[in-house]
Amino acid sequence: MALLYVVYVLIGLSVFFALAGVVGMLRMPDAFCRMQSSTNIATLGVLGVIIGGIIYAFAFLHNGEMGVKLIVLGVFYVVTVPISGHAIAKGAYHHGVRPEKDMVCDQYGEDLEK
Amino acid sequence: MDTLLFFAICFAVLALCLVIRLVKGPSVADRAVAADSIDILSDMALVLYALYSQRAAFLDIALVTAILGFIGQTLIAKYLEGRL
Amino acid sequence: MKKATFPDILSTAILLYCFWLLITGQLVSLCKGDPNVQVLIYGVVISLGVAVFSSRFFIHESPFYLYNPVKWVMMLVYVVCVFCIELIKANLDVAFRALNPALPVHPGIVKVPVDLKSEYGQSMLANSITLTPGTITMDIAEENGQTYYYIHWINVTTQDHKAAGDAIKGRLEKGVGRIWK
Repeated sequence: MALLYVVYVLIGLSVFFALAGVVGMLRMPDAFCRMQSSTNIATLGVLGVIIGGIIYAFAFLHNGEMGVKLIVLGVFYVVTVPISGHAIAKGAYHHGVRPEKDMVCDQYGEDLEK
Repeated sequence: MDTLLFFAICFAVLALCLVIRLVKGPSVADRAVAADSIDILSDMALVLYALYSQRAAFLDIALVTAILGFIGQTLIAKYLEGRL
Repeated sequence: MKKATFPDILSTAILLYCFWLLITGQLVSLCKGDPNVQVLIYGVVISLGVAVFSSRFFIHESPFYLYNPVKWVMMLVYVVCVFCIELIKANLDVAFRALNPALPVHPGIVKVPVDLKSEYGQSMLANSITLTPGTITMDIAEENGQTYYYIHWINVTTQDHKAAGDAIKGRLEKGVGRIWK
């Protein structure tokens, strides 16, 4: 029964990180900082649910199929989230999205102008 | 058992909050990132509902939604970069 | 683009077949001892067919480098001991930054030198950096034989290339360097 509370704590932690990511996405000053907060949702906000779900499926439901599918889903998220994040950051910069508030330094823009 | 349903509702409510950013977002990139985050959060709600109702078929739907979200995000990024 | 050779196709097909076993649920049936033989044979045919077309996008260096249990143990150690700790630390940092009423962000894009030579190692390091909240790799460039990443960093403390690199990816790069040269 203690294992059930471990599952609940993992899922609750991931709700907390998802909440922090959503609040960050609504509050952050410019587009790139919002992308950082969305990474917050996509890493620990997802992994807590996936790990908790794997424990729950194997220990309480005794359902191997669900556990294996959850493992596939977790691996898929870990592999694809950085790729799409990198692609959208580069695409937004080349499209001309610039922060309204000044950045501390922009060494990418300096090198692109050369 | 009902705790899982409660957490699923939490994720759904968070996904609804992000619609504000989807409507308001000044640039295209903001909207794309917000849409992807809504996709991920509703996916997590779906996973929790699958665990609650003990049906593995919902996990297949979650996997397909994740794949479609990834492809859409990469496509929008490529379009923004001007290479499509 | 180079032509696909037979070892490339074989190594891609093995990976695709493992994914097929996981997704169709046959791995669980194999463990129980009553696999569906038809599904297994379909998987062989489909994964070989897909591998013929896709292996040239997937394999750039020696094809069987990663089919090595020593590398698997190193990768597990990297993911569990190095990467997870960095991930949790960065997640807590960004979460409390977002929940803080004063919103203390100092965003900027810094240029960071990277010493890894292998293409897979470079992409794995770039993905690890992007996966930790607070840093996003934006582009990879090469100047005079030295590889550079452009990284968007949410809390710029230094603008020096070397010092910024140590702060962002010092431990991650050591961990990846043990897997790929």
